[in-house]
Formats: sequence, C-alpha cells, structure tokens
Amino acid sequence: MKPIRTLKISISGVRGVIGDSLSPTLLTRFAESFGTYLNSGKIVVGRDTRTSGEMVKHAVFAGLLATGCPVVDLDICPVPTIQLMVRKLGARGGIAITASHNPVEWNALKLIRSDGCFLNSYQAEELLSIYHQGDYRKARNHEIKAVKKNSQGIPSHLEQILKHYGPVLWKGRRLKVAIDCCNGAGSLMTPELLQALGCDVVSINTTPDGIFPHPPEPVPQNLTDLCQLVKESGADVGFAQDADADRLAIVSEKGTPIGEDNTLALAVKFLLRQEQGTVVTNLSTTQAIDDIAQVFNCRVIRTRIGEVNVTETMKKEKALIGGEGNGGVIFPRINFARDSMVGITLVLHYMALTASPLSTLVEELPRYYFVKHTLPCPSFRVRSFLNSLKEIYFREKLDLTDGLKILRPDSWAHIRSSNTEPIMRIVVEARNEETAQAWAREIIAMMHDE
Amino acid sequence: MNLLKISISGVRGIVGATFTPELVVNFAQAFGTYLESGKILICRDTRPSGAMVRSAVISGLISTGCEVVDLGICPTPSMQLLLTNLNARGGIAISGGHNPEEWNALKFVREDGIYLNALQASELLDVYHQGEFNKVPWNRLFKLRERNDAIEHHLSKLRQNFEWEAIRKRRFRVAVDCCNGACSEMTPRFLEELGCNVVSINDSVQERFPHDPNPTPSNMQQLRALVKASRADIGFAHDADGERLGIVTEQGTPLSEEWTLAIVTEIELSKQPGVVVTNLSTTQAIDEIALRHGGGVIRTPIGQAYVAEMVKEVGAVLGGEGSGGVILPKTQFTHDSFAAIGSILEFLALHQNKVSELVDRIPGFFMIKRNLASSPSAIYASIQELRSSIEFDAKGSTVDLSDGIKLSWPDGWVHIRDSNTESMIRVIAEAREAARAEALADWAQSTLRLEDAHLNDQ
Repeated sequence: MKPIRTLKISISGVRGVIGDSLSPTLLTRFAESFGTYLNSGKIVVGRDTRTSGEMVKHAVFAGLLATGCPVVDLDICPVPTIQLMVRKLGARGGIAITASHNPVEWNALKLIRSDGCFLNSYQAEELLSIYHQGDYRKARNHEIKAVKKNSQGIPSHLEQILKHYGPVLWKGRRLKVAIDCCNGAGSLMTPELLQALGCDVVSINTTPDGIFPHPPEPVPQNLTDLCQLVKESGADVGFAQDADADRLAIVSEKGTPIGEDNTLALAVKFLLRQEQGTVVTNLSTTQAIDDIAQVFNCRVIRTRIGEVNVTETMKKEKALIGGEGNGGVIFPRINFARDSMVGITLVLHYMALTASPLSTLVEELPRYYFVKHTLPCPSFRVRSFLNSLKEIYFREKLDLTDGLKILRPDSWAHIRSSNTEPIMRIVVEARNEETAQAWAREIIAMMHDE
Repeated sequence: MNLLKISISGVRGIVGATFTPELVVNFAQAFGTYLESGKILICRDTRPSGAMVRSAVISGLISTGCEVVDLGICPTPSMQLLLTNLNARGGIAISGGHNPEEWNALKFVREDGIYLNALQASELLDVYHQGEFNKVPWNRLFKLRERNDAIEHHLSKLRQNFEWEAIRKRRFRVAVDCCNGACSEMTPRFLEELGCNVVSINDSVQERFPHDPNPTPSNMQQLRALVKASRADIGFAHDADGERLGIVTEQGTPLSEEWTLAIVTEIELSKQPGVVVTNLSTTQAIDEIALRHGGGVIRTPIGQAYVAEMVKEVGAVLGGEGSGGVILPKTQFTHDSFAAIGSILEFLALHQNKVSELVDRIPGFFMIKRNLASSPSAIYASIQELRSSIEFDAKGSTVDLSDGIKLSWPDGWVHIRDSNTESMIRVIAEAREAARAEALADWAQSTLRLEDAHLNDQ
C-alpha cells in the first residue's frame, strides 16, 4: 500500500504533519482565505502547546494581517477558551491552532465563526473555494493592523464557569482530584479551576511545553499514568485532557478508566435529573444517552459527526446539553463548545449532589460494550467500501446520514470516513463484548475483501 | 507596471499588490534553506506592513529549522552590528529603506554583517525558484527569541569609535528628522548622549511617514525650516532604517544626498590618507577630494554589497554611495548613518568648524538624477540597444560597462542603468557646468527612446 498522505484539507479545517505536509505557505494562504472570507474583521487566535505552534501562529498572523484583519493573540489556551473569547470580544471569527488529539508531529487550523462554533460544511466549502481560487483580499500598507496580545482568555473562561458552579464538598469534605493535562493547553487552566472548585489537586503532565508524555488522545490505553496516580494518591477521581482541552476522559477512584463515552453520559444524567431538556449527540455516541433520556422522558437528537453539527442542532433545538462520545461535553449555558473544564465541573457537582463515589455513578449508567476500529482508506475508496456494505446489510434498518449506521435492537454499527485523517472509522456497540467484537470482525473482514 | 523587484538589494515590492505574505514566507524559507539553518537575526522598520512581513518571515525561518532572534523595530545597521557580535548565521532586515511607505522589502545579511553579494543573491534566488525548502520536524523547531539590546549595543560601539567628550563639550544644537522610521528611538538618544541639544521632529514609531523617507533635498524641507527656526548647528535626516543620511547646513541649506559621502570622505581622508570605495554613479567630487589628500578611489557597480566587500578587501578608509550611505570600517562594514553623524560631529567639534565651512571644501559639481519609470521589458531592451550602439560609436567617451553604461568625458559623465530597487532606468549626469549636465542627461534620455516612460525628477 502506498504511504498515506498526511495533508487533509476538509470541512474540519486544514491538518497535516509538521516538516512534511503542513508548510507555512499553505497555512498563510489558508489564513488569507479566512481573512478574506470574514471581510477583514477582527479575528481571535489561540494555540495549544505544540512545539510547531509558534511557526504556525506566525504563518496565520501573516495571512490574516495581509488581508487587513485586526488580530487578537490569546497564545496558549484551551480551544473552548478561544471559542468563548470570540463571542466575548465580538470578533468576526477565530482560529484555533491545534491538532487536538492527534500525535505531537501534527498540527491544524480549526476555524471559528462569530458565534464561537466551528464553520459548518457549507461555510467550509465557501472558504475552500476562496482558498483554491487564490483571490485573497490584499490590504494596503496603511490598512494593515497590529497584533494585540490578550491574556484575559483563561481568566474570562474561569469566571464564566464559576458564575454557574461554585466549590464542591463531597460528604462534607474536599475532593481529591488527580489530573493529566498531557502537557497541553489544559495545563494553564485546569489546576486553577479545580482549586476554585475547592478540590485538592494532584497532577501530572502540567508543563505546557508540548512535549506529550503519551499520545494526547484521552483513550484508556493513554491513561495508565493517570490510573496509577489515582491509586497512589487515593484520589476520588482522575481527569485527562487532550492537547487542546476540549475532550475529557475520566478515571474512577478505583483507578480504572470509565470509557470516554461515559463522560457525556454522566454529564447528561446529572443535568436531566435536575431539569428537562433536549439532548443532542452524534451518530457514533453510545446508546446509553438514549436510555438515560428515556428515563427522564427527554428527547435525543442524533447528528452527523463533527462538533459543529452537534452545536448547530443544539442551537436550533435550544438543547439543554449535548456533546460527543469522544469525551466532548457541550453545555450551552456556560460555553457553546466542547469544553473539558465544563465536563469536569459537571461531574464533580454530580458526585457532590449524590454523595456517591464515581465508580457507583458509572455502575448506575446503562451498560454497553463499545468497539472502535480504524482502517487506512484513501478517500477515493470510501464510496465503494460503503456501497458494498450497504448491499450486504440492505435488509436491516440503516441510517445514511453520515456514512452508514446499521441499527439493531440493543446494538448498532457505524462505518464512516474520518473528517480528519485518511481512515475509515468503524464503531460497534452492543450489550456485551462478544456480540460487539464479532460484529466488528465481520465488518472488517468484508472491508478487507473489498 | 511590475512593482516587484528581486535583485542584489533584496526583494522589494508594494504591500497590497506584489509583496504578498506567501512571497515573504517563501523567501524566508529559501534563506533558511540557503544558510542551512542556524541563528538568524531579524529587525524591521516602522511601516504598518512590518507586522505582517515579520510574522511571515518568522514562520518561514522557523519552519526551516532556524533559531530566530527578533530585535523588533530597530535600525538595520544596529541589527547588522549585533549579528556579527552574536556570531549569527545571517539576518533579514524588513525595511523598504528609502522607498515610499507602501513598499516593503527583505534585505538579506550574511554572517559578516554585509548584504549578500551578487553571486550569493543569485544562489538564494535559485533556492527560491526551485521551491524545495528545508522542512524540519516538530522536535527540531526552535522557539522564537526576542531581544531589545541592539540599539544599546550599537551605541556602546559608537562610544568607542568617536571622541565622545570632545563632542559633548561643544554642546551642539542638532535638528533631526527620523521620518517616524526605525531611527526614531536611537537618534535622539545618541545625540543626547553626545551632549547635543536635540530638536527632533517625526520621531514617533507609531506615526506614519510624514514624507518620502529618501533623504533628498526635496524631502528635507521640514528639516530645513526646523534648522532655521531653532538656529541649529546642523540638521540630519534619516531614511526609514538608518542607512541613508541627509544633511542640512546651519544656514538652512539642504545638501544633495551625494554630499553626505563627500563630506565624510573629506573628514576621514584629512585624518588618514587612503582609499575610498564608491559606486560608478557617485559624484566625481570624491575623486577630487581623494586626489587632494593623496588617496585613491575604487569604483564598483551599484549596490551596497559591492562597495562593502571592496572596502573590506582593500582595507579602505571608508566607502559609501551617493545615495547618502556611508561605511566606516571602524564601526562596521555597512551603511551606518550613526557612524556618519559621529564622524561629522567629531570633526566639527575638534576643528571648531561650521558645517557650511566643510561644504565649502567640497568641489562643486552639478548633478542631475532622472528616473525613467517603465516596464521591465522596455527597460532592458532599450539599455541593451544603447549598449550595442555605444560599442559601435562611443562618441569620444571612456566607456565602463560594469554596471549599465557609464560614459565619461573630460568635462562630465553620464551613467545609465536599471534600478536595483524599482522598475525604472536611472540616468545620472554630472558636470562642472549645469548646462553640460543637463545636455548629457537630455542626450541619454532621447537616445534611450523609452516610449512608455514617465519621468520623475528627484
């Protein structure tokens, strides 16, 4: 098989490997397209801690300034902070420089609109059209604005959370919380948040230098250090963030990862037991959300994958809460973005409200077994893969909103091409491990035959 | 009109037209690739576009594995001096220099503080055109560093070079026009340290250029008025980045930029006979001054790198160009307005002279500079045509074809060449008699037959 190309220009922005595909020229052009698209309005820029962040940031500045945009530089901060600040500063848009959960050699631009949400697919198409036509706005010398540094991002974000949720006491005592910020952008905010919430903090990997001690995706295999920390320190709970602190993974007081799908399930359950409201999540997120919502007689709306699809539906439906099964919790009352800081706050308050240990709260959630696989797949083969699967499963209940989702009683499988990498994602969920594994094996085998 | 110019004087263009961030990123990548990484100093002048160009340069350099040290807004010679002191691999000065405000440029400096010479510039261009730049992975990228001691370092060097106390004792009153450029901070400070009573205008880095930054008599009208009003002993005008210096006498006469080098030559050769290096287009007065002091003149093609390299090679007393740039090797091998100011004030202090008395010692020539703006195709075609006809009939002149066409007669000379920095032909004629200089310039202009040219007299 040919080597997989690392550049991905898609509706999720532009993403690539530093020293390989993600060149400063490409980044500058992309920023020029965005500055042109936003009509030279004010643009907020922030980044995660990656070592390439400074190079990328200056390429972005050059492009934005050349199109006449005034630029606000938040420098290193969580992505949800950037999204919050775009709204707070009344900016026309924002650029988050982060490859999120991708490995350290990657970087990316995520493009934010004036409402703090990412560009949707139509807007992204429009932007790409400008990019490909190469007809960028050219500001004349005197129209070029200066870059303004702004250090109010994290303080504003903290203030916004603490306006809604105060310190927690658990059975009359302070909670002990272990954190792993993966030396990412959360390093600058999470310890302070936990202190403000009245917790004792034990932390690892809170040096914001972008040298990731493990892959930044908060999945169980990357959480071994945190699990050990929880056990050794006797913490009540452990939290892990990805590099840009939008996604959250949780470790119980027993030192075991609860599974990133359960992050959203816990937050949904906490909120629904206090008030009624609509829940929005994507097609690949656990069935447990529907089960929980049913108990509280609330509605669940499923969307295509991609944070913007969830947030736009949430906005339209005036949803109470939403998010994604990858650990992304969106609680519009605080921030219209996947926000791990909000996730942490909600989970701690859930623990305090019920005076239960975290493991008990997790045991009370509907139990599903989840299998996720990825297969390398160049984009030109995506359609033929999906078509052959459709032919095989044509008698079953199918959802074709995003790739292919096959729905069975108590189980489902979702097969789609990634927005961010040249791979196919296969997700299967069932009541037990055997069923899920068997079905996943079946699908993968068919794809290999193809 | 092609408003992008890639030459020995760097890459120059108009922001909002040809000087795009992609172009700047690519040239920074090419330079980082050409130098095979290493420490690179950057600085910029005060043009609003400098912020954009700076970011593009930083991004391009970091991506090729360079360790970038940003000196912020400071004079180009301050960067060049610090560069040699820090043993950096090279530097990029972001400045349109004397060009109008809408221009900007990258000027590439090598490890000895001199600009890339013609050969090196063409090697850099080859890297640029080939478009294959060094790409460094995430774990070999350097962090951007910022320093703000370039001006301090430059001042401490100048303190060693001139008789500071003698100048301080004279308590000169000095008028200065920094054109709101990169010298706005350093020059008033430098002059105050020299004990001068400083009357300065246009010394805010926040403001736009009040006039074109080329320190020619027509751009020194404000300074001329200031010298008169404040009864200053002398007036100095800077371009945007501290390379070119213009002078107004205590009588309020703005001197041709050609006279800056002539005056400093008179001063330096009177102290120490030796060689002065200048370019083909610079006033004949230099030759007469050198002759009087028993020194010699070496002429080079136009471009600071040619002059600087020759100064270094022959151990010249000084060098410079008729544009107002002066190289004093005891400070550094590059155009340095501050060194020129130091030399002039030191002489006036030690000899109790007025600047007009110094001017009286400069032989009187009449020089005409005409710029014929035209398209690049027309420019090169008409120069080539003239060159072949001159080979056929030199009209009794001595011909020098080392840079454009220079024809010299006993009573005057005319030099026709394409500009390094803009799309235009420069015609420079000089003679003892004004009428003869006019006639030579007219002859050149009519012989060139540039149909689409428009003339802008300086």
